[in-house]
Amino acid sequence: MCVVRPIEAVAILWAALCLAVPAKAEDLPPLTHALTAIGQPYAAPPLKLPDLDGQVHDLAGQKGRPVVVNFWATWCPPCRREMPSLERLRRQLSDKGLAMVAVDVGEDADTVFSFTGQLEPAPGFPLLLDRDGAAMQRWKVKGLPTTFVVDAQGRVVYRAVGGREFDHEDIVRQIQGLLP
Amino acid sequence: MRVFLRWLLPWGALGLWSGMLLADQDYRRDADSGAETWETRAHGVTLRLTQILPDQARAFYVARGFRAEDAEPYALACVFMTVLRNDAAPAALGFRLADWRVRVNGEERLLTSVDDWMSQWQRRGLAESARIAFRWAQFPPEQEYERGEWNQGMLATGLPAGSRFDLVARWQVAEKTYEGVLSDVRCPSH
Repeated sequence: MCVVRPIEAVAILWAALCLAVPAKAEDLPPLTHALTAIGQPYAAPPLKLPDLDGQVHDLAGQKGRPVVVNFWATWCPPCRREMPSLERLRRQLSDKGLAMVAVDVGEDADTVFSFTGQLEPAPGFPLLLDRDGAAMQRWKVKGLPTTFVVDAQGRVVYRAVGGREFDHEDIVRQIQGLLP
Repeated sequence: MRVFLRWLLPWGALGLWSGMLLADQDYRRDADSGAETWETRAHGVTLRLTQILPDQARAFYVARGFRAEDAEPYALACVFMTVLRNDAAPAALGFRLADWRVRVNGEERLLTSVDDWMSQWQRRGLAESARIAFRWAQFPPEQEYERGEWNQGMLATGLPAGSRFDLVARWQVAEKTYEGVLSDVRCPSH
């Protein structure tokens, strides 16, 4: 059995904070300001997962409106950085028809809830749990964060590998082009 | 022949100059954690390594369900937070970590693959959630980046603490192979 003494616990906490929160903004890789257009749009893979309250969300039910699908985890630094900009994008465009979900990989509801509670603005879109990573495999995600934009016909038309500033005007313009 | 050499000389000089440009490398040390960072830009691509100190790696994985004794081999495997980014390559780039090498005293070695680590975690009986966290926290074993795309993830060289090495990163753009080298990188000390 592994016993962690108080001094070790303090060291572990300190180290975890150092790893999760790089000290200076200039040390962080810049967030990108554009989405990559998919040359040959393809049908979005199925996505049917529970949210933090256990309510199941099915992407198929969103047909007819564009959807941003973001794959992330709380321990992924660029995922943490881009999350508030996703919410700002949602606030700009949800009343014009944009839908959004974020799919957390491998973590439980308590972990996700305690992280998102610290965010400003807090996400107003469903946070889905992909506990075994099966949805990520189906969507052929190779690294986090990865985001897809599905058009109203259910086709993947944009992707973003790596962190984005989702409310940057260039991205807003790209997504506005999908709205009715 | 002399005409050919006269023609070749400026190109050779240009090549040498390009090589010096490619060797452009930044270094910095975080005053708080002591972690060191090396960064280079080559052929429109940025490559960055930042030391993950053993205590940081232990903390990260213990917090995600690793037993302390299971986190130890990885924490001591000379781990770096790695960033590769297609800033301005002529087209989409593709890479496989299997093509990357660490060069120690002129000898090139493979990186320990993510699959090898995953097999080890399976043998040790780690919980699925811990294995999933490990898998997705690693730098992707293969990936494609259009311009502006990038990833950040952990990469273990498998070298002893304090070792010095060069990282040779390779990627393909339109079937042509390019290289970026970070020279004289240091593994974190215990």
